[in-house]
Amino acid sequence: MDRMAERVLITGMGMISAIGNNVEENFRSLRAQRSGIGYSRFVDTIHRNVLPVGEVKCSSEELAKLAGLPDTTGFTRTTLLGLVAMQEALRSAGINDAAETPTAFINASTVGGMCDTEKIYFDILDPQKEGTFLQLIDTLDCADCTQRIADETGLTAYVTTISTACSSSANALMYGARLIRAGLVDRAVCGGTEALTRFTINGFNSLKNIDKRHCMPFDNDRNGLNLGEGAAYLVLESESFAQRRKARPMAELSGWCNTNEAFHPTSPSPEGDGAFEAMRKALEMGGLSPADVQYVNVHGTATLNNDVSEGRALERLFGNEVPAFSSTKPFTGHTLAAAGAIEAIYSVLAINRQMIWPNLNFTTRMEELRISPETRLLEESPVKNVVSNSFGFGGNNASLVISKYGN
Amino acid sequence: MEIKCYIQASAAISPQQSFSGEYAPQFLPLEERNLLRAQEPGYAGFIPPNSLRRMSRLLKMGLTAALQCLRNANATVPGAIITGTGRGSLQDTEKFLHDIRTYEETALNPTPFIQSTYNSVNGLIALQQQCTDYNNTFVHRGFSFEHALLDSLLQIQEGNAESVLVGGFDEMTVEHFFIKSRIGYWKSALTQPADMLASGTPGTIAGEGAVFFLVGTQPAPVEVRGIQMLYRPAPDQVASQLAQFLQKQGVKAEDVDLLVIGRNGDTRFDHFYAVVEKALPSTATNIPFKQYCGEYDTAGAFGMWTAQQELLSGRHKTALVYNHFYGEQHTFILLQKH
Amino acid sequence: MEALKLKLKQQIIEALNLQDTKPEDIDDNAPLFGEGLGLDSIDSLELMVLLERNYKIKVEDPREGRKILQSVQSMAEFIMSKQAA
Repeated sequence: MDRMAERVLITGMGMISAIGNNVEENFRSLRAQRSGIGYSRFVDTIHRNVLPVGEVKCSSEELAKLAGLPDTTGFTRTTLLGLVAMQEALRSAGINDAAETPTAFINASTVGGMCDTEKIYFDILDPQKEGTFLQLIDTLDCADCTQRIADETGLTAYVTTISTACSSSANALMYGARLIRAGLVDRAVCGGTEALTRFTINGFNSLKNIDKRHCMPFDNDRNGLNLGEGAAYLVLESESFAQRRKARPMAELSGWCNTNEAFHPTSPSPEGDGAFEAMRKALEMGGLSPADVQYVNVHGTATLNNDVSEGRALERLFGNEVPAFSSTKPFTGHTLAAAGAIEAIYSVLAINRQMIWPNLNFTTRMEELRISPETRLLEESPVKNVVSNSFGFGGNNASLVISKYGN
Repeated sequence: MEIKCYIQASAAISPQQSFSGEYAPQFLPLEERNLLRAQEPGYAGFIPPNSLRRMSRLLKMGLTAALQCLRNANATVPGAIITGTGRGSLQDTEKFLHDIRTYEETALNPTPFIQSTYNSVNGLIALQQQCTDYNNTFVHRGFSFEHALLDSLLQIQEGNAESVLVGGFDEMTVEHFFIKSRIGYWKSALTQPADMLASGTPGTIAGEGAVFFLVGTQPAPVEVRGIQMLYRPAPDQVASQLAQFLQKQGVKAEDVDLLVIGRNGDTRFDHFYAVVEKALPSTATNIPFKQYCGEYDTAGAFGMWTAQQELLSGRHKTALVYNHFYGEQHTFILLQKH
Repeated sequence: MEALKLKLKQQIIEALNLQDTKPEDIDDNAPLFGEGLGLDSIDSLELMVLLERNYKIKVEDPREGRKILQSVQSMAEFIMSKQAA
């Protein structure tokens, strides 16, 4: 089966997060070690000045402008974030007309348009109330943002949405890559979009795993995550198709694996069995050994459970040679469905700019571990292979391996 | 497809008596609203009491249909678990929204939030069966179950799994029924399932259900030949794509002797179904399945289950399932009896 | 104290939907988690909600929560100490 051996290349990237409205701005913030965490301007919640978040600095109206729309009518913040990132991704891949080549669009979302529907939900339930808000009824689900983005950009071949909590967009990248390998499409645009909502802030707060301070991944004193928002998409193409159209490969998606913890509805196993297997098999698929990895962009949410479990998995897989690893969530917050794609882009940037991003807010090693994250910005650091981890509720784990193309 | 893929077992919780015994679909009478409620089985034989106490309705339905499917296959741990759901546990989403308001964002129980996440059923199946392999959830209206099925076929083609547990599930709450009624999803007058196709009115009857299949390489009477999805096609594209799809599967239109079709009596979108009916021989048996299960995001899974039951009963050989969800997500699934 | 413990047991049964369990089935000192009633970390969060909604006592730190929620006895003692303060 020759077709299955087809390489999957990353030929375009677009993103928006708390540290920048495009890839270049994100890069500059990472390099300047500038966090995007702060108090929310746009979410109506009593926790607004208590629980810090990684909020995108634009209002929805400003996002609409960035996306070239006259106004926000019918578009939720989730869609607008996604549209901004999608337009940049297509542009950076040199795609003027996405409809020209059958292109899959595999999106990821955890709560769809909840950011806007939660504001009008009780008006919708009131039969006496009428108005333009009724246009937003269908944005309650996860498909709405995907289809709006698809319709705005002309993507039609395979249009769908994945929701596996915090690993959603990593799974979207995997699925798109597999559609390419199976020969169903030559190109897939994959990633996720997530807007901050009162719903998710209260959800994670009810689980008592939001830190009131800036999150401290892998620190002994960590006490939970900060939520964030953003969107990121990567253009994936088969190597042969990319060569035919003379696309510029940014990196290769060389390995991936999805496993399940089968341990607990919201907690990972203490020894990180699922994380270990996901990383191990993703490397195996890429024909790589642990020694080939220069950087791990960890899931590193800074919750009590995740960091123990993921840290143990790193120690088990890499033994005494654990490569530089860091969580970039102190920059962006935990962007849930968008996290896997945002961090995949940070992994590509690590390879292309030869840098390793610092794990901010770390001071004290965890008592359960003998390893600590990289706290400095490492420049001129040769990075050829990166493991990017995304783990979520329901035990859904995903690891991606991103490699320098042509090494 | 290079590796053949068969339906080894299935299980369906639906408005019909479909979960156990002989399947004999009925036109169920509606009294209050255009909503066909699923008949829930007893859960005690499937889920331990300590897990059951916290679970909401859709989680119980989804998990139980999955477990029954594995029992029917004499299997315990599938090679992968892949599901589709358009709405996930609506009851939990609604409860958490109401709790946020009632308790003004303080002292909230986390359970409805956890269970409202779309992948919670998948996580529960994996947990109960200790399946640590590939696990994925699609949440895209009429492309939820359908992509789960495509993903399953790919897993098998890639050699990653010999069998995959694949399913679709959705529930309809009274609250969400009202919400969707505000944008014309349902017929405005109470309409009986028996009259739904000939009603000549827009909208349809709501439904719900949880349907699972174990698909895999081990030969069984019904083979899944292929699946094809079309996003927002024009009617003439439906015809041309159907022709291409059948050709790719090596099947002639006249070989199709069973058409299981998603007709739901919604006059706004009926014309798509007419296109497919016209493209197939008039002698093919035509079974509109939504009279029995109602309309919902993952009704396509019930359509495939209906086709499987018909093929198993032995009268037909080649079945096409054609369904679309409000004119946007269209799917062909081809099944063959051996 | 005895009345408080009985009430707590009833509230626990209701909040956690412990069907087939009666207040007298729960021993004051039996561990609520792991062996005992077989509760887990999500139940512990729900019990903290119970304390907040019914007794206006807020437990911020889950690690502190674990100590308070060891048994009906420890919960009752904690409530008494808070109400006395």
